[in-house]
Amino acid sequence: MKTSPGRKTFIVLNALFIILVCVAIMVPIWMVVVTSLSTDAVAAKEGFVLIPKGIEFESYHKIFVSRGYMGAFTRSVWITLAATAVSMILTTMLAYGLSQSGLMFRTTFNNLILITMVIDGGIIPFYMVVRNLGMIDTYASLIIPMAIQTYNLILMRNFFKGIPESLMESARLDGASEMRTMVSIVLPISVPIIAAITLFYLVSHWNRYFEVIMFINDSKKFTLQVLLRQMLFQSESSEGTASILFNNFKMAVMVMTMLPILIVYPFVQKYFISGLMLGSVKG
Amino acid sequence: MKKTEGPQVRVRRQGSSFGTRFYKQLPLFLIVLPGLIWYLIFKYFPLWYISKAFTNYGMSANPRFTGLANFTRLFQDPKFWRAFRNTMILSLYNIIFYFPIPIILALSMNELRTKAGKKVAQFIVYIPHFLSWVVVGGLFVMLLSPTTGIVNRILVGLGIIKEPIYFMASNDHFRGVLILSEIWKSAGYGAVIYIAAISGVDSQLYDAAMVDGAGYWGRLIHVTLPAIRNTIATVLLLTLARIMQMQDQILVMYNASVYEVSDVLRTYSYISGIRQGNVGYATAIGLFTSIVSVVLIVLSNWFSKHVLDEEIL
Repeated sequence: MKTSPGRKTFIVLNALFIILVCVAIMVPIWMVVVTSLSTDAVAAKEGFVLIPKGIEFESYHKIFVSRGYMGAFTRSVWITLAATAVSMILTTMLAYGLSQSGLMFRTTFNNLILITMVIDGGIIPFYMVVRNLGMIDTYASLIIPMAIQTYNLILMRNFFKGIPESLMESARLDGASEMRTMVSIVLPISVPIIAAITLFYLVSHWNRYFEVIMFINDSKKFTLQVLLRQMLFQSESSEGTASILFNNFKMAVMVMTMLPILIVYPFVQKYFISGLMLGSVKG
Repeated sequence: MKKTEGPQVRVRRQGSSFGTRFYKQLPLFLIVLPGLIWYLIFKYFPLWYISKAFTNYGMSANPRFTGLANFTRLFQDPKFWRAFRNTMILSLYNIIFYFPIPIILALSMNELRTKAGKKVAQFIVYIPHFLSWVVVGGLFVMLLSPTTGIVNRILVGLGIIKEPIYFMASNDHFRGVLILSEIWKSAGYGAVIYIAAISGVDSQLYDAAMVDGAGYWGRLIHVTLPAIRNTIATVLLLTLARIMQMQDQILVMYNASVYEVSDVLRTYSYISGIRQGNVGYATAIGLFTSIVSVVLIVLSNWFSKHVLDEEIL
């Protein structure tokens, strides 16, 4: 088929539009990175830097020696890893069980879980439960109460449902326990969905803000997100209080906050699209 | 071992009493048990605390049943009405200004001619979704800063405005900032579901349309849009269900000078319940919020069933 001139113009304009979108996404992130690599003098003069004038790791050095920020960083890493592990174990086990036709009351369990997506007690009752469990000001409050996300559970269950039951049946006939069947038969062929859901959990635990300020009062236990919020917004919203922190330092903390995700993202990206689509095909 | 296994299995299948059936699926049951207990504790126990909405819990040392007193107070509280109005206005803005953008983005990305271009574009547009609201809020503070922000510099440089605008503290601009940052963060990822729906359209339909002489817009209107209509309706429903819970974004980005235009039901409930300790009252706000969102879901499902002819729930 021949391409008409009008069609050609459309293709070019369309490509330009997408390029513009990508630029709008990348420029702010680029500015953060470049500013974080500037010297105090440049940061003080320009505020935010678009074109790099030399590379300087001064701000990163300051973060590494600062107990507060480095402590929050390592704390956030540990909380995120622990929370993701708990999330994956609970979600995988529940999703696997719910995908097997052998489970009794399967439909009832499924419905009881689905209902919770619509009927929700609100923030205060949730807070009351966490408080009555004695979890306020503990790291457990950032790990256990948000462990399962129903949407992720359903994606995973749907993926497991798509695996032919004969595979599991033959393992069971060979005398493999249910746990064994899940770990050595089902999980190895579910890498795309497991990678995707792991990324989703990692991101939501790392990015968590609201639950941290709700459950944690002790500032020694704050995560990096909370410290970053304090640093960025308090100096900005209270005009007049001269801030001694230059933008290069602030942006370096911001880079530290984005870094773990930007490192994991490229590796998992190919899985998350396929996993997402495979999981959502069958409703 | 194997030899005895066969008959045993047969025996268990014949005995179909509850006990034997339960015993047979016990390993599966044990696998789901931890998850089920989690749901019971963190999704069902909270429902019991809704009863606190009918008490003066948090306001007095000996909380007692106060009937609908919290709700009476609610409807006379100007701050509650402010939060209600802001929730509705922000949701409406969200549907008008944000909702169409992922669809446009998906259609546009689908039209990219090169495979590499598609890959690079997909790689980039999904990134903001994975950044936290603290980071995205920080980016907007940086871009919109009255002293060093690039936006104010450009606007002043072009002579569009004389004085830099303090966007984050201006009642006239803050809602715009919220919607724009939502677009920046979520539109790319929001396009995924439409991209999936578009790629699922039978290519024979396009061939047939082309034989009939349909151009690009003809195919868009007669093939693509009808094919993704159900997806659009579903996403609209999910958006409506979610609008009551924009909390991270607002909690991160707002400050006292813009409460007037950005304090929503969730933030108001959080502040009065946990920061100020009025648990009973705050639970009532939460209950009201839940009821409104269920009503919205049912209404939009009715709408899509009777008007768009697509049933979602």
